[in-house]
Amino acid sequence: MHRYALSGLLILLVAACDRAGESASSLRTDAHSGNKTLRIAVIPKGTTHVFWKSVHAGALKAAQELGRVEIQWKGALLENDREGQINVVQDFVAQAVDGIVLAPLDSTALVPAVVQAREAGIPTVIFDSGLADESVTVSYVATDNYNGGAIAAREIGNRLDGKGNVILLRYNVGSESTEQRERGFLETMRKEFPGIKMLSDDQYSGTTPLEAQNKALELCNQFGDKLDGFFSVCEPNTMGVLGALEQEGLAGKVKFVGFDPGPQLVQALADKKIHGLVLQDPVAMGYESVKTLVAHLRGEKVQKRIPTGEIMATPENMNDPQIKKLLDPEQAN
Amino acid sequence: METALLRMSDVSKSFGATHALSCVSLEARGGEVLALIGENGAGKSTLMKILSGAIAPDSGQMELAGARYAPKGPHDARMAGVAMIYQELNLAPDLSVAENVMLGQELRRFGLVRRSAGHTRVRQALELLGRTDLSLDLPVRQLSVADQQVVEIARALVIEAKLIVFDEPTSSLTQHDVDNLFRVIGKLKASGLAIIYISHFLEEIRRIADRYTVLRDGSVAGSGMLAGASEGDIVALMVGRKVDDLFPSVPHTPGKVVLSLQSLAGRTTPKDVSFELRRGEILGIAGLVGAGRTELLRCVFALDPVRNGTVRVMGITPGGTPRARILAGLGLVSEDRKGEGLAQRESIADNITYSRLAPYSTLGWLNLRQRRAVVGDWMRSLNVKARSVEQNVEQLSGGNQQKVALARVLHQDAEVLLLDEPTRGIDVGTKSEIYRLMAVLAAEGKAIIFVSSYFTELLSVCDRVGVMARGRLREIRPAGAWSSASILTSALGVETST
Amino acid sequence: MTSFDTPAALPLAQRGTQLLRTALGPFVALVLVVGVFAVADNLQEDGGHFATLKNAQNVFVHSATVAVAALGMTMIIISGGIDLSAGTTMALCAIVLAWFLREGYPPSVAVTAGLGTGCLAGFVNGTLISLLRVVPFIVTLGTMTIYLGLGKMISHSTMVRPLPAQIPAWMHELLSPRVQQEWMVFPPGVWLLLALAVTVSAMLRYTVFGRHVFAIGSNESTARLCGIHVPFTRIAVYTIAGFFVGVAGLYQFARLTIGDPTSGTGKELPVIAAVVIGGGSLSGGRGSIVGTLTGALIMQVISSGCTSLKQPNHIQEIIVGVIIVAAVTIDQIRQRRLAP
Repeated sequence: MHRYALSGLLILLVAACDRAGESASSLRTDAHSGNKTLRIAVIPKGTTHVFWKSVHAGALKAAQELGRVEIQWKGALLENDREGQINVVQDFVAQAVDGIVLAPLDSTALVPAVVQAREAGIPTVIFDSGLADESVTVSYVATDNYNGGAIAAREIGNRLDGKGNVILLRYNVGSESTEQRERGFLETMRKEFPGIKMLSDDQYSGTTPLEAQNKALELCNQFGDKLDGFFSVCEPNTMGVLGALEQEGLAGKVKFVGFDPGPQLVQALADKKIHGLVLQDPVAMGYESVKTLVAHLRGEKVQKRIPTGEIMATPENMNDPQIKKLLDPEQAN
Repeated sequence: METALLRMSDVSKSFGATHALSCVSLEARGGEVLALIGENGAGKSTLMKILSGAIAPDSGQMELAGARYAPKGPHDARMAGVAMIYQELNLAPDLSVAENVMLGQELRRFGLVRRSAGHTRVRQALELLGRTDLSLDLPVRQLSVADQQVVEIARALVIEAKLIVFDEPTSSLTQHDVDNLFRVIGKLKASGLAIIYISHFLEEIRRIADRYTVLRDGSVAGSGMLAGASEGDIVALMVGRKVDDLFPSVPHTPGKVVLSLQSLAGRTTPKDVSFELRRGEILGIAGLVGAGRTELLRCVFALDPVRNGTVRVMGITPGGTPRARILAGLGLVSEDRKGEGLAQRESIADNITYSRLAPYSTLGWLNLRQRRAVVGDWMRSLNVKARSVEQNVEQLSGGNQQKVALARVLHQDAEVLLLDEPTRGIDVGTKSEIYRLMAVLAAEGKAIIFVSSYFTELLSVCDRVGVMARGRLREIRPAGAWSSASILTSALGVETST
Repeated sequence: MTSFDTPAALPLAQRGTQLLRTALGPFVALVLVVGVFAVADNLQEDGGHFATLKNAQNVFVHSATVAVAALGMTMIIISGGIDLSAGTTMALCAIVLAWFLREGYPPSVAVTAGLGTGCLAGFVNGTLISLLRVVPFIVTLGTMTIYLGLGKMISHSTMVRPLPAQIPAWMHELLSPRVQQEWMVFPPGVWLLLALAVTVSAMLRYTVFGRHVFAIGSNESTARLCGIHVPFTRIAVYTIAGFFVGVAGLYQFARLTIGDPTSGTGKELPVIAAVVIGGGSLSGGRGSIVGTLTGALIMQVISSGCTSLKQPNHIQEIIVGVIIVAAVTIDQIRQRRLAP
């Protein structure tokens, strides 16, 4: 039995080791002040994508500017694990944090958890993706995803002079933000570019670049010879499609618009393999979310809906300072 | 007379409170075969482990070729020139003969294995063993057990062993292969190696060994030249008492026929076996390993598929599943206690009652208290030594395990007991208890089939003895009409005539 | 008779130590993990939230889904098998349940269908293993993706979202950490889990079937020799385990209120881990329900503790991994010590 004690000690050790790094990871300002430090839990959809690291950076920046705010950053263990995200929210409710900033993995499944937080007196700001019941949240900080899809449709439509064959590769079922982009793209195409035909608009890429690449290869095999334009709705998805187009020798020939940047995607933009990247502002998303939540906690009135803007980067404009900043946003480590 | 190659003096080893070896001294000489004899539990395997470096003795000295010998591990022992040939062979089945022989001894140059030079060494070794017919490139998996043994011996030669220890090497060999093995051992002896040959088959020992040392209860009971010793002398040394006391006699008389087989045939063995067994009768089945005795019992118990023939128990033909055979009144004690006979990790209570839980069950729920009481009674009546009925079987000695296996068939109230090598690997005292139990059961009207490779016990315990060879039941005679020699002739007879 | 005492005199003490050896080991580990986190949490300046009733409720609620599936997995592992399809079966059951609700069937029908799906999936596993004589690892590796595919087929690869009105109130309450009646302390789903655990535990110990499960896991040849119907027992084990996976599907649906075809992917691993931490042996013959529950709780306590100590996810993952390896190692050392 004493060997169990041994493993217990081990846990203590591992935990202790990491406490050294803790002060760096959770930024605590103004520890000397007598005022209470606000503890804000920030819950992303995932923890590994670059996008979320930028959100984290924005949240930390806001905390630093505001003072007396501590950010607790934690996502579900598995990507796309809705149950896991519910667990994280409930854990933070038990921790009695002062407020929650959440990017819900599902528009309905997370509602009860947010309601529970509210009943415990913990307000929630939603970012990135919407929640089915907005009455239980303080504010929704996000890109106008519908508009993001619409400007992508215009970019492709204009580059094809209003005629040609286009594929839309969807992301994953139940993801509200990408569904908005998909809808914006399709509706704008239909309305403004009647000469453009959708070859495929019902395929889902899955959540990883590899799955997306396989799916995109299937589509290229099927439609490759008559394909003129391609829209992919988020970063892993765009990575996969880029890989597929390169493999099939279609990169550069097909007018390809993606969503969100990444080092390889920016390079591909410079190489004119990608003709447009819809840029969101993740840093602003994290920054505005925390700011809004703290304002609410301090009794100020906040807006119910805060757009963070979306803009099209193209090979032509990618060196403009404003675009450049968004193509390589700062990241938390 | 030459001096000893290996000399052990006053070697002792204890495990906790048990003295596995106390003050054992023995000598093995070059060009001689020393037979190490003893019942299971006498300390042979501990002695082996000390020799092979697997464990260190608590006290005592060992000398090899005049130098102190204190191996730190098996590899150390091999390097010093002591090779072991175990019952279970230690070969890599998918490597070739040559690769196995050279395993760990590969000749290298620039980090590469020099195959051809290695092959030469292997060929020399096989030549010495008179087995140049073995193909060097054949995967060992495709060899017979006997040929695999030759590969092991060749491996010992390649490391230039001075002493080779054989641990019951014939237990899984046919008579023909035993003869071959003995020829090989003869050659090793002639080339000047010292050999320790562990066995309890006295017939074998007489054929191959020059001298003997008998171990009993961890001490040397006696040693000497075989030429001057009678079989009775050695057995008396092994068991520590007169042979007659070993087989208690309880009078019993055969009654009505309870089991009858008609032309029973399995997938390969047995072939066309017919006989009748009566209440109160003990029928012995003798034969060599592979003669089909185990398969016969398994066919009767419906554990192996039956190709042909019928089994009738008390006049009716039961269904073809072990469950049906149990209900019909049959009970089987397996020869393989670890692999089949007992669920080693489960308790004594479970193992005794697995085949008949019904008495303690109401709508599937068990009355554990009642079961504990009944199991306790069985343990007492069979004198099972254990801490409690809940103790795991794996913690018991071989003899007590065997009693648990026997208790199961008694608990299930079997009328016909099929006992496959029930005395293998257990101590003499327990053997004697089992012989008595069998006689008592027969006197109570049970019928018993007793399969054994030890002819002496068959002749002493059974009413009738049948001999099997090549899957066929050759003949059944009253025990008094057999001798060890005539059983062996009968068991071998078919083999030589085909 | 020297070393054998009368069976009536000894068992109580004997059973005591045996229980100590088997179930209490992981239990002590649980107490230790809780203790370590509670102390560490109290030491940090804004701590004090770990050792609270609220957090205990969370831990039980969060581990309930894995724990209920692990009840069945314990039986399977004791019988010498494994079920890699437990995760995807869980999602399939939730999908079926959600589908029936969305199509307007009464909740009783939907729940029955969900549980039935679990039983059927388990039955198929058991039958394939028994009839094809393929090792459980391979069979369930195959059915794992088959059930995932079936789930996607039924759901058309999307979420099955019943309307809020179609989901009965009790299902919302089943695993909600907001307990309606305060005297209940835990939501009904946790109590149901405990009741099921007691039932399975008693079944394993006090029924003929339970003894047979141990027998085939400990030594299948012995089981055959003793006339135990091995294929029947095995199919029954997998079917009953399927039922518990169905309950896990119900639990998952109750928390998500949607049927998600991918929600079970990877969930079989914590389920198996719970059994292993609790002393189950993958070579069969050993495992206990108390141990399994403890194992599931340990993993969740670590998760919750890491949140309260503001430890990132990777620390949590490393600790759980260390615990699994430690549990198995300790078990083996204990086995070696017990061997003669």
